[in-house]
Amino acid sequence: MSWQMPSTVDEALRLKADNPGATVIAGGTFLGILSGQGLLDNDEWISLQNISELKTLGTEGDLSVGAMVTHRRLELTPVVREDWPGLAQAFGVVASPRIRNVATIGGVLADADYASDPPSMLVASRAVAEVASVRGMRRVPIEDLIAGHYETTLADDELITRVVVPRPRGKGVYRKFRTRSREDRPTVAVAAAREDDRVRVVVGAVSDRPQHYADICAAWKPGDEDSAREIGAAYAEAIRCIGDGRGSAAYRRRVVGVEVRRVLMQVGP
Amino acid sequence: MTDARITADIRYSVDHKVPGMWHLRLVRAGIPAGTVTAIDATAVDDEVAVITPEDVLPHGKYGCQIADQHVLASEPKYLGDPVVAVVAATEKAARQAAAAIDVRYETSPAVFDELEAVQPSAPLVHAAHVTSNSDSAYFEMRPQDGTNVCHHFRIRTPGLRGRHEPNLLIDLPSPGDDRLADAFADADVVFEETFRTPAASHVPMEPHATVAEWVDGRLEVTTGTQTPFNLRQDLAVLFGLPAESVRVVAAPMGGSFGAKTFMRTEAIAAVAAKAVGRPVRCVLDRDEVFGEVTRHASTVRMRIGARRDGKFVAKQMLAYLNTGGYADCGPGVAQKMGYAGVGPYRFDHVAVDSYCAYTNLPPAGAFRGYGAMQSAWACERLVDMLADELRIDPVELRRMNLLRDGDAFCTGEIMRDTHFEELLDDVAKAVAWQDGRKGKGIAIMLKGMQTPSRAEAAIRSLPDGRFEVHSGTADMGQGSVEALTRIVADLLDVHPDRITVPCPDTDLVPYDTRTTSSRSTHMMSRALAEAARELRNGGTVGRGRIVNEGGLDPDTGEGIASSHWHQGAASAHVEIDDETGVIDVKTLYASSYAGTVVNRPAAELQNEGSMIMALGSSLFEEISYQDGQLVNPNLSDYNIASALDCASIQHRLMESPGAEVHGLGETAVPPVPPALGNAVASLGYRPRELPMSPERVLASRVDGRPAAR
Amino acid sequence: MRIELSVNGNAIEVDVEPTTMLVDVLRDHVALTGPRVTCGVGLCGTCTVLLDGEPVSSCILMAPLALGKQITTIEGIPRDDEVVSCFDRQHAFQCGFCIPGMVLTAKNMVEHGTATSREQIREGLGGNLCRCGCYTKIVDAIEEAAR
Repeated sequence: MSWQMPSTVDEALRLKADNPGATVIAGGTFLGILSGQGLLDNDEWISLQNISELKTLGTEGDLSVGAMVTHRRLELTPVVREDWPGLAQAFGVVASPRIRNVATIGGVLADADYASDPPSMLVASRAVAEVASVRGMRRVPIEDLIAGHYETTLADDELITRVVVPRPRGKGVYRKFRTRSREDRPTVAVAAAREDDRVRVVVGAVSDRPQHYADICAAWKPGDEDSAREIGAAYAEAIRCIGDGRGSAAYRRRVVGVEVRRVLMQVGP
Repeated sequence: MTDARITADIRYSVDHKVPGMWHLRLVRAGIPAGTVTAIDATAVDDEVAVITPEDVLPHGKYGCQIADQHVLASEPKYLGDPVVAVVAATEKAARQAAAAIDVRYETSPAVFDELEAVQPSAPLVHAAHVTSNSDSAYFEMRPQDGTNVCHHFRIRTPGLRGRHEPNLLIDLPSPGDDRLADAFADADVVFEETFRTPAASHVPMEPHATVAEWVDGRLEVTTGTQTPFNLRQDLAVLFGLPAESVRVVAAPMGGSFGAKTFMRTEAIAAVAAKAVGRPVRCVLDRDEVFGEVTRHASTVRMRIGARRDGKFVAKQMLAYLNTGGYADCGPGVAQKMGYAGVGPYRFDHVAVDSYCAYTNLPPAGAFRGYGAMQSAWACERLVDMLADELRIDPVELRRMNLLRDGDAFCTGEIMRDTHFEELLDDVAKAVAWQDGRKGKGIAIMLKGMQTPSRAEAAIRSLPDGRFEVHSGTADMGQGSVEALTRIVADLLDVHPDRITVPCPDTDLVPYDTRTTSSRSTHMMSRALAEAARELRNGGTVGRGRIVNEGGLDPDTGEGIASSHWHQGAASAHVEIDDETGVIDVKTLYASSYAGTVVNRPAAELQNEGSMIMALGSSLFEEISYQDGQLVNPNLSDYNIASALDCASIQHRLMESPGAEVHGLGETAVPPVPPALGNAVASLGYRPRELPMSPERVLASRVDGRPAAR
Repeated sequence: MRIELSVNGNAIEVDVEPTTMLVDVLRDHVALTGPRVTCGVGLCGTCTVLLDGEPVSSCILMAPLALGKQITTIEGIPRDDEVVSCFDRQHAFQCGFCIPGMVLTAKNMVEHGTATSREQIREGLGGNLCRCGCYTKIVDAIEEAAR
């Protein structure tokens, strides 16, 4: 078994290019679960733990988040809480403080877990991932990065190095709807980011990837309850919900309508 | 001295390791019912021992109440039933070996639901039912041959006895053809409903952990168990040894709640230790803990008759318990569920039929509340439905019918030391019942203690001036060491520092029935009082022995159900998001009769812990199966209550000066779900099934339509 | 893989597969019993240890990820520590299996000044589960320690 700890991004990219089968590990919470449960068996690991350039957090202009920045840092950094409150909120409700101390923004996007909190808020916020390989760098909007259940559009030799979140042009709210313990994962997750008089509503945890319908959102009238209800109903109609122990597909559909309406009333008028 | 539990200076069963020990892993059945046709272990290393069902056949069958279980199954009864054991020098090697074994099966039809299991056409899980010789089979079993019912417990109050009735009722008989219809003759209103509760998991934080070792022909087992003496007997019988040749040490447990009672992994660990001639350790993974033993899923059909003025006339109850592939102590649970379902009320007539039914699911056994939770859910929801029908305040309807000192319970025993009315008033006050009852609910219950029951204890004075307490009470986290220390310090009037309590070791301590049914503080405090008296009369050892006689006739329910009663009530105040069905618990309150409190913080913790566990059972805890497969055996898919879920909890220990010590380990479990259910019902819902998930709440709306806006 | 870890102020050298979880290293190689395995998926908190003072789940943390960090288990907390004393005084335990994790989480909260209200303490205990249901007294203990 090998565990490599490159100290620069370039070195990491070279290692990954030389050995596309190796597993890249960031915070290691998700991979720790998979490995511990015997669901992932790999002998070769590339750990990003020593790459300090991936741990930088820039808050001048857009929010520039190195892939190894932890959830906890995004939750607690005062300027993020102040200027990107919806984002700080979404990262602040992931699992427990213990997980947030370790889990990273790069990791949560690479996992593409349908029930993670941050992706829908990142999509709503028009966040873009910088994806690098020895072949160069490309910018991928989060909605194009997450392809399905635990599936991304990353190529074998690519790494997420940075996520850039534009400065909000209005209120951002993340609603985590749970049906069981208050520590449960979401049954329905709804993120909304207001952009002047427009809004981006994204629904997570109900299907394989975050769901955003720009056309439905276009009908929004800020502060108008009827408009919020109609958009909620249209989202419920449009999304093909999954069913599991947290709620059946029919129940999720119902809650999507309610929660979308509520989030719109929260970001309006 | 800081408590060893805080600083990790305690050694739990999972911390127990012996030099040279090997590791055991179980290969589990991949089918819910059928026969093992082939076991291919050719891919396993030579250094690994493989134990098959054939190897354990000579040991025969065991079971605490019904002898229905082989140490390894050649005919698995549930998906996950151990069929092969592997023993290796390292845990990793044992895991690899277990994964390398290929087992072939022939499947046979399976049955999963308790109501389907009692149908005449249901496949039989076991061909015949043989009562166990174990001490834990402490009453007469009434298995129904040719059916899946391994025990049928009946209550018939005197006016209803001696009639020719069918052995197995699948539905409440319609009044016209009911042989017991006259029981309801004086009732103006007869009301009936069916209630369900799911299987649930104990989720002890520490998994089951056992080390078995053969020392000079004696079997020594260190394990987390609430039942060291039952275990000693059952192991002795399996290996054809006298009881004295088996030593069971009950190490401190990181929680149990009933999960670590009777035989669990001890038998296979002992077989494995013999096979490899070394100590063998077996620790279950979390998913295995989920499947090891569960709470009985149940269906309860209940009919109540009352006069227009509210006086209860009669109750009929059919209870079906899903005991899974092996009976475990299901017959005992069926009995306790049967009489607890009657509730703390006076009736002219009571007829109870409680059926313990086999299915092809993991076995169900003891679980905090021991059947009383399931039947109190039915009993107390139905009382509220009746109150609505009669337009009588639910508190007043209960008050009118509560058992009081001198009243006879349905078993014929005369009640004494009853505190039901005080409890009722207390819980009503806690939610300001008098100020309107929207969003509020109350419930009350009685729960029996293990009866008959025997406790022995000894106190030895040590040369250094300290006293050693020998007691079979196992510490599963309830703080028995603390309680025993305080009791003996008080009895001998010495400082607690001079008392030492070694953990139960059957070689050292005298017999005790078991640490279950919240009996231990009650029984041990009296045995120790006797021991202390004897010690003061001279000598270096004082011994005490307490025997509570009693028990119930399985055909009439007549007798002594409980030598003392656990009495508890709860109330709740909730709000419901009527668009999503989410329940917001504003107040959850429980009041438990405690008699005299031995250790206040520990007693409070028992009450709080019971409420919190019951809160989870009320709102979200549920084991889910798909075709017999347990689909949520982890803490992500099966939630337990967190610190955030129980901010609304308040409670009271009701004391009575000079009263005897009452057990508190479970009293606050059963009344919580119906208190919450009744609170939900007051807002226009009709919950009949636990847990009250938001989805179920919405579906139970009385007007049939979830709110829309 | 040979790795050197700093556990409770001591340098520990172990030779393990890199995918070995930190909790297994601590239990099997360092003979500490304070960190425990219950859920195995980072949800329950009985495996909590502090990494440079911050609580993490050691049951899902591969050991090499702790390189260069100070690992603290309950065994590294002084017996007369204020948080420990408060747990003892408030009798904030039953079986105790979850308590070392609770204490370590509580220490972090108290040190960061994030135990200012009962609700905030409950939030901070997120992911530290106690099946015995000692939460009320645990919150009492942390509240007292934060005063």
